[in-house]
Amino acid sequence: MELLIQLGIFAALLLVGLVFGSASERRHFREIARREAELRDVLVFNEKRPPQDREYREATLVIGSVVIAEDYFKRIAAGLRGFFGGRVMVYESLMDRGRREALLRMKDAARARGATMIFNVRFETSSLAEDAGGRAALFSAEFIAYGTALVPR
Amino acid sequence: MSYENPQVPHEVNVGGGGAPLAEFLRLGAALVAGVALLGALLYFAGEHLARRVPFALEQRLVGDRVVGLDLGPAGGKADPARAEVEPYLQRLAAGLAATMRLPDAMRVRVHYADVAVPNAFATLGGHVVVTRGLYERMPSENALAMVLAHEIGHVRNRDPIAGLGGGASLALLLALAGGDVDALAPQLAALVQRGYSREAERAADEAALEALQRFYGHSGGGAEVFRVLARAGGGTGRVPTMLSTHPADAARIAHLEAAAADWDPRTQPLRPLAVIPTAQARAPAPADPGPAPGPDPAAAPPAAH
Repeated sequence: MELLIQLGIFAALLLVGLVFGSASERRHFREIARREAELRDVLVFNEKRPPQDREYREATLVIGSVVIAEDYFKRIAAGLRGFFGGRVMVYESLMDRGRREALLRMKDAARARGATMIFNVRFETSSLAEDAGGRAALFSAEFIAYGTALVPR
Repeated sequence: MSYENPQVPHEVNVGGGGAPLAEFLRLGAALVAGVALLGALLYFAGEHLARRVPFALEQRLVGDRVVGLDLGPAGGKADPARAEVEPYLQRLAAGLAATMRLPDAMRVRVHYADVAVPNAFATLGGHVVVTRGLYERMPSENALAMVLAHEIGHVRNRDPIAGLGGGASLALLLALAGGDVDALAPQLAALVQRGYSREAERAADEAALEALQRFYGHSGGGAEVFRVLARAGGGTGRVPTMLSTHPADAARIAHLEAAAADWDPRTQPLRPLAVIPTAQARAPAPADPGPAPGPDPAAAPPAAH
């Protein structure tokens, strides 16, 4: 009986994670696609040196940062994947969301300053909520994108 | 020099290999199947190895303890019925065992437990327990002998220690998998203690029939045991069929009756029980003692393990 209750709680958590997690992921991806189209005119490059053939009024650091947490379903599915090996697709989409969201927030910051290009763009990723043993109650990651925004004269 | 960001397709990093739920179900099913296979393998290996343990060693380790039941102080002065019935049971069991070709060192000790639930079981170290509920319901000595011979058959086949060995290997698997053994052990034990496998029960039935045939010259009265148990339990409906390893009572009764087909009750009458406890004789036993809790919860479903 206790075993059944434990299994029931596990299944319920899994279901909640699956339903709410994938709904929020779908919503997030729709929003990302919309904002990416909106911010297409802010160009980003990983090149270190800005173009020398034009003049700028201002060059400034812009940052976009976001923290995204997994849901319970992703956690269990990734654990299963970790047992068998192979592509961890549930985390691939999570990391993709994080990077794109951070980039979008950086572009937002650049546009607020009137910049049209960002150079020397870098990404940083770090996982949060881990203890010394590398185990976490629930995995979440911070994504930072930063670069040098150039405001044309 | 021209600077531009080409449009990147949306699905460059995501959704490469189908729905995550389908993948999860596939992997989960593979994991469950693998664990079940490993568990079955370990269980049967544990059973097999445990049967190889010399009976003398089993007996020395267990000693006078009756695993699975608290009989109270030895000597039975607290329970006069036990002092009367136990020697009779022991005599009958010794007579049956003599016909069953037990290995040399194998000794069977029978205990009478003051428990209302009709039950009989063989446990580690050659101990056989018969409850008051079962004894009072036995219509004849032949039926009682059927029960005793069945349990002695389990002892001879080493079924109690095999069950223990299988359960121990499963516990080992759980411990290796990092599972919470303490939390799962009772449920596992309950599953294991449901009874022995159908094959083990059938083998014990066969051994019992043979012993009855040798001891009384016929195997009549054996089928009566399971008819009585079926009535006492009100059917085995409480136990899900998946977990019930006892062959259906009807099939078992039919088999026992077929085995006793050449028995003629007129020329070969059944013997009555030689000992009726005095307490029982003074006040007739209640028709149905009801679900009185026994000392061991695992012994609650009425059955001859």
